[in-house]
Amino acid sequence: MSENKQKSPRRRLSYQRRKALYGYGFLSLWMIGTLIFFLIPLVKSLCYSFSEVSVGTGRMVTEFVGLDKYEYVLTEDGKYTDLLKSTLLETLWKTPLILIFSLFVAVMLNQKFRGRTLARAVFFLPVIIATGPVYAIISGDMSSTGNSGAEQFSTMFSTDLVGKLLRFLGIYGISDKMSGMISAVADNIFGIVWSAGIQILLFLAALQTIPSTAREAAQVEGATAWEYFWKITFPCVSPYILANLIFTIIDSFTSPTNAVMKRIHDMGEDWRFGEASAMAWVYFAVVMAAIVVITLIINKMIYYEVE
Amino acid sequence: MTDTNIQTVPENTTENKPEFSKEERSYFRRKAVTDRVWPFFRTLILIGLSFVILYPLIYMVSCTFRERGDMNDPTVMWIPRHYTLDVLKETVQAMDFWNTLKNTLILNIGCSLVQIISCAITGYGFARFSFKGKKLLFGIVIMMILVPPQVISLPLYSQFRFFGIGDLTVNLIDSMATMYLPALTANGIRAGLMILIFRQFFRGLPRELEDAAYIDGCGPLRTFIQVMAPNAASAFLTVFLFSVVWYWNDYYVSSTFFTNTRTIALMLQNLDTELKVRLFNSATADVSPREQIVWKEAGCLISITPILIMYVCLQKYFTEGIERSGIVS
Repeated sequence: MSENKQKSPRRRLSYQRRKALYGYGFLSLWMIGTLIFFLIPLVKSLCYSFSEVSVGTGRMVTEFVGLDKYEYVLTEDGKYTDLLKSTLLETLWKTPLILIFSLFVAVMLNQKFRGRTLARAVFFLPVIIATGPVYAIISGDMSSTGNSGAEQFSTMFSTDLVGKLLRFLGIYGISDKMSGMISAVADNIFGIVWSAGIQILLFLAALQTIPSTAREAAQVEGATAWEYFWKITFPCVSPYILANLIFTIIDSFTSPTNAVMKRIHDMGEDWRFGEASAMAWVYFAVVMAAIVVITLIINKMIYYEVE
Repeated sequence: MTDTNIQTVPENTTENKPEFSKEERSYFRRKAVTDRVWPFFRTLILIGLSFVILYPLIYMVSCTFRERGDMNDPTVMWIPRHYTLDVLKETVQAMDFWNTLKNTLILNIGCSLVQIISCAITGYGFARFSFKGKKLLFGIVIMMILVPPQVISLPLYSQFRFFGIGDLTVNLIDSMATMYLPALTANGIRAGLMILIFRQFFRGLPRELEDAAYIDGCGPLRTFIQVMAPNAASAFLTVFLFSVVWYWNDYYVSSTFFTNTRTIALMLQNLDTELKVRLFNSATADVSPREQIVWKEAGCLISITPILIMYVCLQKYFTEGIERSGIVS
């Protein structure tokens, strides 16, 4: 008995240590890779942003210049701050729209009807295409090369139909700002629908965690669909909203089709590594700040079932 | 309709004759109306939105099979007036499609395979072992998801350009190693996300599985290969499919590291100039931008066709897989 007591802590320790070693073993491959392909480049890029970079024989030559590059990027390069502002603004108003839209579609797709699988397949289709150059062509380049593709599509719909609809409803003249907003949404419905694939799927998964008893109880109590949505669906889904929100923000900020990313890429192609790195870091800082602020705000509003 | 309602509201009913209060009756009336009207609206909305999604694809098909002159014909919107396969043939030629496809497939499938294996191992390490610095290391994984590839792509470029230690360097730019090496060490395209998915998935598997294997004297690695991996087959498939899609669609990373290696995404980017050189014998030939659209759309069509076929065949692994693999939590 006493022998056992003496032995057991030592054995537990060694077992734990062994497990820890195995843990490092499983991670070793990734650790090597991360060091070479992530951490070192990350630090280097930070260094680049503080220096003048040129290509020497056998390696890159850097010369420390302090905050010059940041100063250049933020003040002299007029284009960059404009692009940054417009990208931020676009993400700011598009993200809530994407979330509302995807929740709406997810609620619809969660109901039982014929052709549900087909509908799901169609709504998820953009995920397959939207990360690639094809999307860049059908959404962006088309509008610059002629009145076709996405632009033709949205003009076909928005200018006439939305205006007419608003007039029909009698709310056209109420405020310019409002009708401007509505037609902006209509113009961008293509972009919103096309970037909501993953979000819809995540919300669908969230909706399926709502127990069917909740629906029955609500029916017994005589809740309308509207009440059911706000009192049951929404609180249940709310923890997923944050995840979805962050995903949406990262997705739109890091997509190669966004203007800031293109600018950074072009700078790199010009071999202006210092400027490009400074731009990338400013951008990254702004994105991180946005995510932190939004997370703090949203976290206060979320309902967690179990803390 | 009313039968079921009677059953769900047992308190206010007598045995034979249900007597509803005024409010209850109006509730049922409203419910009956919404039950009948809502499906109609739902169908309408879903069809409308599906059209928004499918529109570019339909337009692609329509453009691919028309003559370029049709683009200037205002009466032609969806259905071409002159059918032709020339545009398709020219685009296939300009993109050197079959060779490019072969290249892309080798690169994609190879990288994806290697990457899911390395990410699964890493994810398993994070899910089931406790050790010092785990939180810090996991923080790095989160960083990998957050840091846009643009931030590190430039230093990575110089790193691949002069790959090695000290003066012993090789130029890896333009070789497939620039894709394979990161994938092999769980650092390829969106590797952070994959590690996260695998970690969530392995955490969800019952611990008894491994304990039994340990008691039987299996080492951790053997346990992972023989016990855990077979249980994770569906997660592997889902992540693999996504990985293939991401590699297929990537043009940022590949355009940074490749100058001559051809992938579908890169060829599509360069289709413009390539076509002008081939069709009109000069890079600056003046073709109206409206007419160029036919080739662009044809290029889009043939570049998404392979991935579209994969999607249609394996659709349920894409959509159900995400729900099941626990990525949400």
